[in-house]
Amino acid sequence: MRVQQFCILNRKTKNAMEKTVLVPTDFSIASLSIVRTYLNAQPAGTKLNIILLHGLHQTDSITSLLFFSKSKMIQELVSKEFDEACHVLRNKFASQINSMRKDVFTGFTQAAFNQYAEAKKIDEVCLPVLYNPKFKNRNSFDLLPYIKASNLAIETIGSEVDVPMPEKGKVAELFFSRVSVS
Amino acid sequence: MKLQIKTMLILLTAFLTIIVLFSGFVYLSVSNYSYEDFYKLLEIRAVTAAKAELDQEGGSEEMIALRNQFFEKLPQEKDRYYRITPGESFTDEAKALDVPVSFFNAVLKGGSGEYSKNSMFYKGIRYKSKLGEYVVVASAQNYFELHHSAYLRRTLILAIGAAFLFSALIALYFSRYVFRPLRKITDRVKEISSENLHLRLENNMNNDELSDLTRTFNNMLDRIETSFETQNNFISNASHELRTPLTAIIGEADVTLSKIRTTDEYIETIKVILDEAETLDRKTKALLFLAQTGFNGKNQKFDKLRIDQLLWDVKETIEKINTNSRIHIDTSLLPENPLKLKIKGNEQLLHLALSNIISNACKYSNNRQVNVSIGASDQNVFIIVKDHGIGIPEKELKYIYDPFFRASNTLKYEGYGIGLPLTRNIIRLHNGEIIVTSMVGEGTTVQINLPIGQFEL
Repeated sequence: MRVQQFCILNRKTKNAMEKTVLVPTDFSIASLSIVRTYLNAQPAGTKLNIILLHGLHQTDSITSLLFFSKSKMIQELVSKEFDEACHVLRNKFASQINSMRKDVFTGFTQAAFNQYAEAKKIDEVCLPVLYNPKFKNRNSFDLLPYIKASNLAIETIGSEVDVPMPEKGKVAELFFSRVSVS
Repeated sequence: MKLQIKTMLILLTAFLTIIVLFSGFVYLSVSNYSYEDFYKLLEIRAVTAAKAELDQEGGSEEMIALRNQFFEKLPQEKDRYYRITPGESFTDEAKALDVPVSFFNAVLKGGSGEYSKNSMFYKGIRYKSKLGEYVVVASAQNYFELHHSAYLRRTLILAIGAAFLFSALIALYFSRYVFRPLRKITDRVKEISSENLHLRLENNMNNDELSDLTRTFNNMLDRIETSFETQNNFISNASHELRTPLTAIIGEADVTLSKIRTTDEYIETIKVILDEAETLDRKTKALLFLAQTGFNGKNQKFDKLRIDQLLWDVKETIEKINTNSRIHIDTSLLPENPLKLKIKGNEQLLHLALSNIISNACKYSNNRQVNVSIGASDQNVFIIVKDHGIGIPEKELKYIYDPFFRASNTLKYEGYGIGLPLTRNIIRLHNGEIIVTSMVGEGTTVQINLPIGQFEL
């Protein structure tokens, strides 16, 4: 009995501090800069679950259904630099990040997106001011319409000036992101 | 190419031995078989001849007809009959036939005997007819011995010859094929001399012994080039950094000595000279510290060191040499776990490499602020140096690691094009990676990845 009480208590306190954030991403380092700025703005003690979500249409063929593998799809989309940059962020905000996951959303309808958001218990969506995703894969699609149409809370971050940078696509981009130019 | 010829010869001998053994075996077994076969044939002839000639009874007429019709005459076939009289030997008959007596003795004793001489074959049997006991000797020339064996010999010799040629070709090709990578390495190594130490052997990422050799060789070249360049680097730094205060001292003294001055003026001059001399002293110390690695060759120990600590040291050294530099170390992405900042490396070499990169950043941005960031993933430590200087033209980016190369927009700045190749070599020695990205007029970003040392707490 006492143990159960403790569990409930523990979950309550955890819930108060824990937050799940969805970040739409094109798997570029620039989109991670948003996460960095967002994390900087969070009060100390918040535990975050970050989901980096990418919209990717599936082909209708039966073979692609048969061999459907999310991890393989993500592996194809994500560059080594992106992974490294994720690790840099996780190391920096080790005490704030509870989990950081890459995921793909393959649905077509608004209902599917709402379902996804509910299933993952998403509290907030983090969007950059300059939202201009560049997709490498031609099956990728923009998640913004779905996010706007859902009733999720949206946090907009960043400045409106786009600074030209030589280090595009390298891990270095994360260190001097346009949103955090001081 | 001695080893190549050796391999070829070994292969060739092996091939040849096998072929000769094979053909010898074939030749012997075939001729042996044919001899036995021929003796059997003669035996049948002898038996039938004896039956037809000696047993003159019913049916022998047909037998003779049958024999003449179906038995092909062998070359020089002849059947002889000798009656056996007990106590008498066949010495005369043997002499007449030109066969040894032992042949007859064998027939008498064992019932049959064989003898051959110059392709004439003799088979003797003991035959018991109604008229008494006889020795029947059938003799003929062996057709096989006459024709087939010569043909077989010729064929085998031809086959051996052909196989020899063929195996020689294969051995030659194979030995070439095996030693091709080695020859390539030799050729490439011959090209490398002290003028083009930056050349490397190309390595296909196979895990065989040869790529091991290539890797080892490249590693050695890295080390040699690094020690060459550290010396060059010192000379270029020294000539540049030490000349400025010296020029100032000489100029000041020269001007002052041109006429008689007041005491105040002398004091002022000596103050300036002292100031410059102090700068000179500071710079010399810093430069000697940087050069230390190059001159004592045994000082190449790899220890664990903390990157952030190293960067602060580098900053201090650069500020000693160039007091106008503005270096900002950005720790906003510093990992919470300090273990991730520890790498295995040689402090002096890395100090040299980083100070090269950062002082270049200061130099080519006219002492504008230089940002140095540190971060770490689970495998690598990242050091990122960003300046807002003149940048590097995009077309020239691929040449920046060539020794003595200087970009076309660097004419205003002093330098020898030694620092960056040296830095890359040092990073290479640490299994790291250096990535330079740049935009003309916007600035340059240098990213250095060094593998984490994976130390336990």
